[in-house]
Amino acid sequence: MSVIKLTGGRVIDPANGINDQVRDIYVKDGRIVAALADGDKVSAEYNVSGRVVMSGAIDMHTHIGGGKVNIAREMLPEDHRGDPVARTEITRSSCGYCAPGTLAAGYRYAEMGYTSCFEPAIIPMNARQAHMEMGDTPIIDTGGYAMLGSDDFLLRMLVANEDQKSINDYVAWILHSTQTLGIKVVNPGGISAFKFNQRKLDLDEQNAYYGVTPRRIIQTLTRAVHELGVPHPLHVHASNLGVAGNVDTTLATMEAAEGRPIHMTHIQFHSYGTEGDRKFSSGAARIAEAINRHKNVSADVGQVLFGQTVTASGDNMSQYRNAAFASPKKSAVMDIEMEAGCGVVPFKYKDQNFVNALQWAIGLEIFLMVDDPWRIFLTTDHPNGAPFTTYPHLIKLLTDRSFRNAMLDTINPDAKAMSNLAALEREYSLYEIAIMTRAAPARILGLTDRGHLAPGAAADIVVYTENADRERMFEKPDLVFKDGELVVRDGKVVKVVRGNTHVVKPEFDRGIEKKIEPYFRRFHSVRMNNFKISDDELCECGGGSKLIPHACGKRS
Amino acid sequence: MTNEASSTVVTEVACPFCGLACDDLSVDTAGEALAVVGGGCAKAQAGFARLGVSHDGASARVGGQPASLEVACAEVARRVKASAQPVFAGMALDVSGMREVMELADAAGGVVDHLYSEIGWRSTRVVQDVGYVTTTLAEVKNRADLIVLVGTDVVSKASRFFERYVWNDEAMFEPAPAARRIVYLGGGLNTAAGQSPDGRAPEVFDFDRARMPEALSTLNALLAKQPVSEAAPLGIELARWQALADALRAAKYSVLVWIAGDFEPSQVDLNINAIMSAVRTLNVSTRSNGLGLGGADGELNASMVHAWQTGYPMRTSFASGIPLYDPVHNGTARLVEQGETDTVVWISALNDKTPPPPEAKVVIAPPTLKLEHEPEVFIPVSTPGVHHVGHFFRGDKGAALPLRALRATRLPSAAKVAAAITAQLKEVSA
Repeated sequence: MSVIKLTGGRVIDPANGINDQVRDIYVKDGRIVAALADGDKVSAEYNVSGRVVMSGAIDMHTHIGGGKVNIAREMLPEDHRGDPVARTEITRSSCGYCAPGTLAAGYRYAEMGYTSCFEPAIIPMNARQAHMEMGDTPIIDTGGYAMLGSDDFLLRMLVANEDQKSINDYVAWILHSTQTLGIKVVNPGGISAFKFNQRKLDLDEQNAYYGVTPRRIIQTLTRAVHELGVPHPLHVHASNLGVAGNVDTTLATMEAAEGRPIHMTHIQFHSYGTEGDRKFSSGAARIAEAINRHKNVSADVGQVLFGQTVTASGDNMSQYRNAAFASPKKSAVMDIEMEAGCGVVPFKYKDQNFVNALQWAIGLEIFLMVDDPWRIFLTTDHPNGAPFTTYPHLIKLLTDRSFRNAMLDTINPDAKAMSNLAALEREYSLYEIAIMTRAAPARILGLTDRGHLAPGAAADIVVYTENADRERMFEKPDLVFKDGELVVRDGKVVKVVRGNTHVVKPEFDRGIEKKIEPYFRRFHSVRMNNFKISDDELCECGGGSKLIPHACGKRS
Repeated sequence: MTNEASSTVVTEVACPFCGLACDDLSVDTAGEALAVVGGGCAKAQAGFARLGVSHDGASARVGGQPASLEVACAEVARRVKASAQPVFAGMALDVSGMREVMELADAAGGVVDHLYSEIGWRSTRVVQDVGYVTTTLAEVKNRADLIVLVGTDVVSKASRFFERYVWNDEAMFEPAPAARRIVYLGGGLNTAAGQSPDGRAPEVFDFDRARMPEALSTLNALLAKQPVSEAAPLGIELARWQALADALRAAKYSVLVWIAGDFEPSQVDLNINAIMSAVRTLNVSTRSNGLGLGGADGELNASMVHAWQTGYPMRTSFASGIPLYDPVHNGTARLVEQGETDTVVWISALNDKTPPPPEAKVVIAPPTLKLEHEPEVFIPVSTPGVHHVGHFFRGDKGAALPLRALRATRLPSAAKVAAAITAQLKEVSA
């Protein structure tokens, strides 16, 4: 039995309403406990008085595993050369800046105080690869969202006007079969449309073959996810990614959810207007106003930060278009298995480029104008807006107005003139940062034992020395505990553990397999039984990861 | 997963013996050797029969003498520890085997090199130079209206390609599979499988395949509406080339198929680049995709795991403590030739046909592997998909298939052996 005591820390635990209160924390066998029982002997005590204590951070949208990420790694040896991770007695060698190896990614996340990360774009057919990569990402917990909406099975169900219950059964079957935590839709129906040579698909435009609109896909899938009781709302990468004027599409997509929960992902890339001489402007005010008004809507930002990165997306329709802007000049675009696609395009965001600079400002405007930190999440859509290692810098931009304005003064002046960023006075507090990086992601994903420090929670705990320079503070925590094990000290990995895999298993009627099995036999490249990932197989894919299923409260 | 409780036939078995990884096999487990009784092909039948035995009596050897697994692993650990840069070659493994070898190679400061890397690194160079536009097998099965086989018949390496993905009974979209148009670029290919079920012969551009760069240049020029001065490039009248270009432009979902290993090694990246150029030109107005097929002998298991763990493709040296990628420098043959390695460890659990290079002092392979020389250490291992479960990446990168355990054996898996060597190595170090 292991008993740990963290003594005298300033605890910031928004899930439990605790804001900077001095408390002792006890950990017994990997879990937080209220107090020690008779006979418990503290095996390690850490005096953390004066230091800030939070739960482990959670990245709810980061491309850390799966086919497209691995294409990016293979494509970009030039990215890796400058960023090696050396082998030590306890860690292995790896490398990469914007497209790091899984080993580098796991160590770096842990060294920044992140203990759980979620891959948002798992192609069902390729879920095994995503789980294998996440299984080889050390220390952190993982999980993912399965991509639907351009899969021919669902589109055929919609054409056949199958009832919502059957669709719910299919969605639940996908969650079980792919061992995922949520459902994502990417450019709804658009990836399928691209295979029929359509190059854009607006919310109310029909897929050339199926006649189905993105709106109908959003309506159907938000309803399915809601009725199945999956904690995480439908995770939506909206239509028209990156296109000037897409703010209208994004607002209409929110409305298409008809009041049901909907999560709009990397919303910065979907918040563009067409004002000004260059017909490219910020739609942040309209987006923030809509999020503030619609309590059913949440969003992660997908902040752009300047420098070299690589964009990796399931949205091959958009990525084929964006390949024209690739830097360096190369790109990979794939149609995949009657389910989805992917596109990998290296990209360099330049602070003197008008569009890039305005993208940077738009992301920050959204952060600062959305009132409720429980519904706006800190992401760069790693690596699409910037690598995750830039999070401490992003936190500084959000918490320090003078720093932010100093940065604003250095960007493309026309972009600066088009932004209201300078006028935004808000500075995020540590409490709000803890909400958006811990408590809120745990809540929106249904991770009841993560993202907080109450008794019963998993002991994923981070200790920081407070520093007015928030970038310095958040890039190098003093201590990081994963399930009660000290894994990082002074910003360096001191122990490597294996994280868990988070999934949901909603109830459904297995009779749906009577429809799915013949479909696989007729049209797919594998048999249905070889598509499904069992619990035992998942643990093998994950290299021995423990499976943590989260409850679903069925609503229909 | 048997038909009925009493049956000894296991159905829906995935096959690890070529890059297609067909998963519709029925395998009878009743006899001494495994027998493919449904699905499959000659290669699958031979593979399951040859490897699908219990290998009773096979034992590790050190210096030609029987040794325990522990002693053999300790001897390998001692050798890789003493080496400045051991090379782990062969690598016909499943995912878990490759995962464990990666840990070993990093700890040992070595290099990992698959038996097809000499071709593979040239393929990967295309991704690093220009990228690609590609598709996967289920898309081909349902959408392809024009399939151009570039310098390959596919079936010599992956015999069921047409059966499973081209001449299907039905497809989800137009055209009906039987109406698909098949074109072979290059002579000397087995074009029989390209004949449609109703007897329509495929089109064949019959020329010396070593001249593929010229053929693809001609096609690219015509696709780009540039003039071609020759009346009959490669001895084939220009009108036929023009008709092919027109057909590609008119197709709704053309697919250009290649197998890198079927190209002249020195032309691999040149040819794939040229295919990508054609595909990119076509995608301006219609849809067209490349389909690179490979993946035999776990080629993609090795390349995928290597890339995701370290960031780099294979032929990366871990000797300095950080990964250093140089696919030209770090090839096994070159390292041996230049004296830059003194220890070649051959590890192969899926392939018992390819002989290890004579320099391989350590061989970790199925006991059915015929050795020309007795290595200093031999460790027999079981085979994924035959003796133990595992995962196998299909050659189109579209899926990873689960492999089954069909036959009991006392032999360890390659993963277990690699992990045991790593553990010994760390003990030696500690």
